[in-house]
Amino acid sequence: MDISISIEDLSYTYPSNRRPALQHIETQIKDEAFVVLMGHSGAGKSTLCFTLNGLVPHFFRGKYQGRVLVNGKEVASHKVTDLSRLVGLVFQDFEAQLFSTNVELEMAFGPENHCLPRSEIERRIKLYLSFVGLEGFRHREPSSLSGGQKQRLAIGSVLALEPNILVMDEPTTDLDPQGRKEVLSIADRLRGEGRTLLLVDHEPETALHADSVMLLREGELIAKGSPVDVLKNQSLLESCGVKPPPTLELFRLMGWPGSPLDLNQSIETIQSLGLAKPEKKDWEKLSLKKTKGKPILWTDGLHYTYPIYKVEALRGIDLSIYEGEFIALLGQNGSGKTTLAKHFNGLLKPTSGEVWVQGKRTKDYTHREMAELVGYVFQNPDHQIFSRTVKEEVGFGLKVLGEDSKVIERRVAEALEIVGLEGCETKVPFTLTKGERQRVAVASVLAARPQIIILDEPTTGLDIRNQKNIMDVLRQLNRKGHTIIIITHSMWVATEYTQRTIVMKEGRILSDGPTRTVFADEERLSEASLQAPSLVKLGNWLGTEALTVEGIVEEIKGRG
Amino acid sequence: MNIFLYLDKDTWVHRLDPRTKLIGVLILFLACLCFNHPLYMAGISFGIFVLAISAKALLNFWRVRFILILLIIFSAVLWPFFVKGPTLLCSLGPFQLSRESLLYGMAMGLRLANFVAIGLILLSTTRNEEMTNGLIQLGFPYPIAFAISTALRLIPTFAGAGVTIIQAQMSRGLDLKSKNILRRVAQFIPQAVPLFIYAIRHTNLLAMALESKGFRPGAQRTFYYELHLRRIDYAVMALLGLLLLVMLILRLVFKLGAVLPYRL
Repeated sequence: MDISISIEDLSYTYPSNRRPALQHIETQIKDEAFVVLMGHSGAGKSTLCFTLNGLVPHFFRGKYQGRVLVNGKEVASHKVTDLSRLVGLVFQDFEAQLFSTNVELEMAFGPENHCLPRSEIERRIKLYLSFVGLEGFRHREPSSLSGGQKQRLAIGSVLALEPNILVMDEPTTDLDPQGRKEVLSIADRLRGEGRTLLLVDHEPETALHADSVMLLREGELIAKGSPVDVLKNQSLLESCGVKPPPTLELFRLMGWPGSPLDLNQSIETIQSLGLAKPEKKDWEKLSLKKTKGKPILWTDGLHYTYPIYKVEALRGIDLSIYEGEFIALLGQNGSGKTTLAKHFNGLLKPTSGEVWVQGKRTKDYTHREMAELVGYVFQNPDHQIFSRTVKEEVGFGLKVLGEDSKVIERRVAEALEIVGLEGCETKVPFTLTKGERQRVAVASVLAARPQIIILDEPTTGLDIRNQKNIMDVLRQLNRKGHTIIIITHSMWVATEYTQRTIVMKEGRILSDGPTRTVFADEERLSEASLQAPSLVKLGNWLGTEALTVEGIVEEIKGRG
Repeated sequence: MNIFLYLDKDTWVHRLDPRTKLIGVLILFLACLCFNHPLYMAGISFGIFVLAISAKALLNFWRVRFILILLIIFSAVLWPFFVKGPTLLCSLGPFQLSRESLLYGMAMGLRLANFVAIGLILLSTTRNEEMTNGLIQLGFPYPIAFAISTALRLIPTFAGAGVTIIQAQMSRGLDLKSKNILRRVAQFIPQAVPLFIYAIRHTNLLAMALESKGFRPGAQRTFYYELHLRRIDYAVMALLGLLLLVMLILRLVFKLGAVLPYRL
């Protein structure tokens, strides 16, 4: 087989940085290989992707040393546009890469740039739209598609250039579980197509089907090998900010032989070696420990219809939330999670029905009063950061609320300590990493000391280290008595941290109960296009009450 | 949520070649400049309204109804203070209100609303790509045509981000209902800075995505939607041209349709 990508002693430094983004990368990728690239935030994954189609060093200049060859062509001496028929690049942000007003024009954009005749463009639109499963959507506006469909369209529009090498930079990070499945199934199908595929992803389970896995750390390529070899090295993965497959961890802690990477392998090993016995348990009887507190927020026949287009987003929500709860709000995109959460702090007002917070209707509060009761952290911290220093940013809410400067100073220091950013007071927020900016956003909501804190996708786009960081902060806050509600697509975050889970589907509540009970009903979850993580499925099979590795280990050892 | 102006319908206006529509818009703009009598202007407004119905674009008119009404009211109220006419109705200190200036104000209000309405019909019936394509065929350099259509394309995207940003800041206690003007200016910064940064990030990423798909400004390219001037296109252009000619003759030769003949 021929070499498709060859990287020879590549080092690169962005013009504004002193620290190199990539250091002495040396590797080769064979034709038709499927390679998964993993690493912590800031490890250089995206930068490495950019070096393959020439965005580095043509779009981003800076210090570039070494050589990158794709199909024998040296990247640095060809323009990005010339390489575009050889190397296709799909970005994480599907909103920014879709540009046209309907699906077929989006598909046609690349071929048009290369002056292909109309009949050829037509052929490619047909072929690749059906490849990504969007034949029926030719005349739809991209903005009206779901997240998964958008990302599939982005992939299709790149495939329309028929590149030999397809590079996807975290194509599933912003997607719900359903969209993620859709995109990964395309990656699987591409394997039989004779193209080289490089995929950046955070989830170890994606890597199972790859030919090889590459690990980046601080700009260095520190491991490359078959998925099993790389993924079973737990300390190496953790040092790279990658979550080790939890089934592997379980086996290691139990002292069981073998290194299963997914659910089926695990069950097979356990059964064939008789390591533990599956048990059937009924978790329905498990009830929420309501002894904790009194109801603090409740809704009563809540309906909401978006104006102008009359989309009914919420269709009758009756729900009570108690003081001190830690709740995960799950569901596909468009199931109404965010719409519901925006009712909790009065950003949206019910079309009919009512939302009560501490015995008063949300519509009777002003936004200022609400901000002191219910904090809401938006998904993207960059939607709210505007100040010159972290201190000002975190203190902004308090200043608006009219607190005097001494109180502000004290509360800002307090909030920064909780999120672990003490000492960053005078830093410029824009220069912080994504994980740190996320924590600044949390701190800026915390400073007002709201009893209830809602977070929309607090872990999206963060590596495992940062995800654990932010979730540990939330757990601490919860223990101090705050009520925490998170909207999330990340199932492991829900199962590992929350006590109660609410699953939404098409504007209604599909299930609501203790997280253990909700995740025991795998059928009900799949009705909402959700899926329990492998570890939880294993826990269901084994009949353990715990959903974390440590908890399961303890329970099974306790059984004797 | 759909915040684009283009309405995907199949009407004869949609099917017109974008060049015809662009030229048509230019002719209609000129037609609006022919008269400054409110009755004549109302005649043009009526024509545009009929056009909007047959282009099935009324939904967009409904969405911008407040802008249209405000334009008419504001200029009808404000213009009379700045132009003078022979038939004095009353005078308020330095301001003189005349019959002509009142009528002129009404005409100007209708004219502004007409401009908006014409643009709205164009945007409701023409895809961005068609617009770019049409501009290029009419001789605009590609980078300029592309910049225009990109700007149009990005407005709804940024508007959507703007809504999120406002909600995010309101959740932190930002009170947008404050009456104090100084306060309002101060409140502008928490909204503008994140939007500005978002815009830079977004356009940067867009540029990368475009380049990665082989886009070269100024280079030759093919168009998947090919443009064809059909018989109806020529007929529409001829008809509109004739209409403009008639209007010019009315105004210049017969001195009709003007309350203040020395003004545009």
